[in-house]
Amino acid sequence: MSALLETYDLTVSYGGLHANSNVNIKVEKGKLTGLIGPNGAGKTTFIDAITGFTNVSSGRAEFCGQDLVGSSPAERSRSGLVRTFQSLELFEDLTVWDNLIVMAETTHWWSFLADIIRPRRKVGVEDQAEWALELLGLTDLKDRLTLDLSHGQRKLVSVARGLAARPELLLLDEPAAGLDTVESQQLGSHLREILNRDITLFLIDHDMGLVLSVCDYIYVLDFGKIIAEGTPEEVRKNPEVIKAYLGETAGEIQAQEGAAARQQGGI
Amino acid sequence: MKEALLYSIMGLGAGGFFALMAMGIVTAYKGSGVINFSHGAIAMYVAFQFFYLRNEGIFHFPWFDILPTKTLNLPVRMSLNNGVGINVWFAMLLSMATALLLGAGIHYLVFKPLRNAAPLGKVIGAIGVMTYLLGLASLQFGAIIPNPEAVLFPRGTFKNFLGLGGQVSHESLAFAGLAIVIGAGVWWFYKSSRAGLATRAAAGNEKGAVLLGYSPDRLALYNWMLAAALAGVVGIFSGTITGSLGVGKFTGLIVPALGAALIGGMSSIPLAVAGGLIIGMLQNFTGTWMTSQSWFPTWGQSGIREAVPLIIIVLVLFTRGKSLPVRGNIEEKRLPLAPYPKRVGIYVAVFVPLGFVFAAGLPGDWGWAGLTGPWGFHFSVTLVAAMFGLSMVLLSGYVGQISLVQITLSGIAAFVTARLVSKGGNRSAEFDPFAVEGPGWPWPLASIVGVAVAVIVGMLLAIPALRIRGVQLAVVTIAASISIYTLYFENSELTALQGGSAYIFPAPTFFGVNMGSTSSSGLTDSPRFALFALVVLAGLCVFVANIRRGSSGRRFLAVRANERAAASAGIDVPKTKILAFGLASAIAGVAGIMTAYQIGQTAATSYEYGIGLSALAFLYLGGITSINGAILGGIIAGGGIVAYFGTWHSPGLFNYTAIMGGLGMILTAIIHPAGQASIFQPLVQHLGGWLMKARGTAWLNSLKRYGPFIVLGAIWGVIGINPWRTDDYSRFWMALTGVFLVFFVRSIVVQIRAARAVKAAQDAELKKFLAEMEAAK
Ligand SMILES: Nc1ncnc2c1ncn2[C@@H]1O[C@H](COP(=O)(O)OP(=O)(O)O)[C@@H](O)[C@H]1O
Ligand SMILES: [Mg+2]
Repeated sequence: MSALLETYDLTVSYGGLHANSNVNIKVEKGKLTGLIGPNGAGKTTFIDAITGFTNVSSGRAEFCGQDLVGSSPAERSRSGLVRTFQSLELFEDLTVWDNLIVMAETTHWWSFLADIIRPRRKVGVEDQAEWALELLGLTDLKDRLTLDLSHGQRKLVSVARGLAARPELLLLDEPAAGLDTVESQQLGSHLREILNRDITLFLIDHDMGLVLSVCDYIYVLDFGKIIAEGTPEEVRKNPEVIKAYLGETAGEIQAQEGAAARQQGGI
Repeated sequence: MKEALLYSIMGLGAGGFFALMAMGIVTAYKGSGVINFSHGAIAMYVAFQFFYLRNEGIFHFPWFDILPTKTLNLPVRMSLNNGVGINVWFAMLLSMATALLLGAGIHYLVFKPLRNAAPLGKVIGAIGVMTYLLGLASLQFGAIIPNPEAVLFPRGTFKNFLGLGGQVSHESLAFAGLAIVIGAGVWWFYKSSRAGLATRAAAGNEKGAVLLGYSPDRLALYNWMLAAALAGVVGIFSGTITGSLGVGKFTGLIVPALGAALIGGMSSIPLAVAGGLIIGMLQNFTGTWMTSQSWFPTWGQSGIREAVPLIIIVLVLFTRGKSLPVRGNIEEKRLPLAPYPKRVGIYVAVFVPLGFVFAAGLPGDWGWAGLTGPWGFHFSVTLVAAMFGLSMVLLSGYVGQISLVQITLSGIAAFVTARLVSKGGNRSAEFDPFAVEGPGWPWPLASIVGVAVAVIVGMLLAIPALRIRGVQLAVVTIAASISIYTLYFENSELTALQGGSAYIFPAPTFFGVNMGSTSSSGLTDSPRFALFALVVLAGLCVFVANIRRGSSGRRFLAVRANERAAASAGIDVPKTKILAFGLASAIAGVAGIMTAYQIGQTAATSYEYGIGLSALAFLYLGGITSINGAILGGIIAGGGIVAYFGTWHSPGLFNYTAIMGGLGMILTAIIHPAGQASIFQPLVQHLGGWLMKARGTAWLNSLKRYGPFIVLGAIWGVIGINPWRTDDYSRFWMALTGVFLVFFVRSIVVQIRAARAVKAAQDAELKKFLAEMEAAK
């Protein structure tokens, strides 16, 4: 089993702050790998660094055996390394369908000439988009503008948009934040289905429940450092994790999650 | 060397001018995050105010008589001293009061309502203010171009300044000194006064100002008044430094001032002052000293002065574009939606034949003699203006790039084409003293090359757009527009035009059929040209619609919506922008060439930046994010069919075009950024669907609903305010335009009502929410 994505001592610093320090993470093909950590631990920074949205201070990352250094976010996306955003970042004035198609279609320098002659030709990725919509139960919303949707629906659209590209690896940044328990469980079951379609997933969340229940392998990040890794059972029992993350009383965690959810919902 | 230094010092007066202007721009930016393109216009207005107070004792009010009657009038001017000039100090006081009034007015009426608008909305607001003030000034002062005298400053010159062997006027040194002194004052204000500190806090984060006990609105007001006061100082004291006082003068000098403001990073007053002085010196050094050297290429002599600030602006934005402060507004609105064009084929199938009928003149003079007469001319103007609008729809509406250089690209295409079709004595039989030598290519080939050159230049100009966004792009592009104008269009070395003459454009012919704009009457009002333009416009509409509907359009809107997300979707954002610039340049190029065909010649003045801004104004009024918006923009554009309606009814009305355009622009930016087209479109769609399937009661209902408006419009059109003008000719066209105008006015009223209703609903919701919160407690 080869690693699809592997980082070697990846470090990102913002001024003096090490948002990621010497992070070594390995994502196996066909597995569901998770990354958890409290708010501000550096999870989003990790995705930003992998996908080219922030500069890496030192260390490096390889995707499919290729060094990622020097390629632009767009190039990485086209090579199959696709992400979602914690803050959604949908294309607000496109329809749900066009949001997916934009992600899925590959264009050439002459595409605009083809558009001038025949704008509404099939772009060959329609079934991908259909599949993503169907999987997440969004088919009915196909022609709606994303800005008209509820927050939960928008969350799903952002996941569907990532899926529509049929990536090798999809990095999901807190897809469950702001969803209620039922929705969150549904999402978990969808994730397993996605995995069966040859898309490897990397799931970030601070909702311990979801990550522990669906992931095959989990990394725990705290203050920019990996403090633990292993199968869900191993992580659950790890004393470091319990101290840094689970050490708080159950009530505190819940309160924290509730606050985070409200915050998310407010965006 | 000595000479070079001397020439630089001679530029200090202009440097002081730029420094003062730059301070004002920085101040307005600090206060409300607006790059104030209207700053020069404010200074100009005050300069005129001061001039007439000082010389004739007349005070002008910064508004115009909106009451459409001859008996009841708003006062617009007041004579204080029976036509004799008043005391200089008193004149200064009144002029400064005018400046402060303008500043407060601009804040309350324009930028306070636009506080959370998208960057394009704010740019439009500033351009609207500028257009309004320029229009107002031409109305009030435009007749005479006075030569102001120096004020308070010592007259005379240092004969041999510092032993450099040349004269330097007292006034220019004193003016530079004034700039430095005032700069120190403003710097102190921001450094030490409470309001200044709060402004600085607010620029980073509006909550900061609230903590210091200032509301952001109040602060913005203070800063606008300070900015306007600085403009007032420029207007009063610039005296002989800027030479004779034309309406557009100071606005044309906004580019160096923007350069200086950018050197100050849009926030540092001392750097802005230094930047202004340096630009003034550099300009004089390059423009006067360098160009007089034997090694300097002759083609660069004209316009190198203007190129200096452009180079500085590009350098500054390139090196520190990202570090310029971007204000963290609480909530910033997006551009209005760019609707998906539906049923393009049907539209073309309906409107092109309809346009043919319009152009060929079925009811024109009630015969097929063709629609000669003014209608043909104004119809053509509308069509060409709509073409130009399409270029901005694609670039600004779809991709969100605020480019003010499109008019220049139009000009480039037209100039290149004109040069290529020239062949010496173009004006065949006539005597042409300014005949331009050229290869004499056939017009279609020359036009294609002209458009291609515009595309290349447009794509080169897109390069800065890759690093910067929003208003900063507007700054670069307006600088480029003004620089290229003097560097190329006015440069006889490059154009081969002598003495400000124009290229003669031969009429386009199709297989021997003349489609040119010159009719048998000798005027440029041939309906054949309107037909030609109609076909070109329809082609461009389909072009833009297809781009919007295809994968390129999706990518454009994705980039417009969110560049980060677009990159994550594998979209190459820089390439997409360059593509958009290229396509928009092609459309602008076509529009430019069509303008030339329409006028019958190509002169620099058709492609001046101000023309582009006014086109933008009407486009924005129509709706910048849709094809229909471009068409509507063309209909209401200056010289278009609605303007014709206006002049037909009241001959002086065209004087008000700029004022109305400016006001309309501001109003649209505030109440309905999507433009009027979004109101008209459903109306037209309705009508279409309707004619197909409406039944009796439906007919009756809409007749009840729209009938009165139609009748009203038709009557207004036919009778108007000049009842004697009821010849056959106007009976049809004027009625139709009248109906259109009535619906236009109606759409504005509907929008204001709708905006009110939305606001009321929001307020009600908020109240309900608060009540619930209370209850929960
Ligand atoms: N662009 C940035 N500049 C400076 N600091 C940042 C930036 N992005 C994130 N940070 C900081 O890095 C740390 C990690 O943030 P983030 O990766 O968003 O955490 P998480 O996603 O785990 O909640 C936080 O302290 C945050 O304030
Ligand atoms: Mg995060």
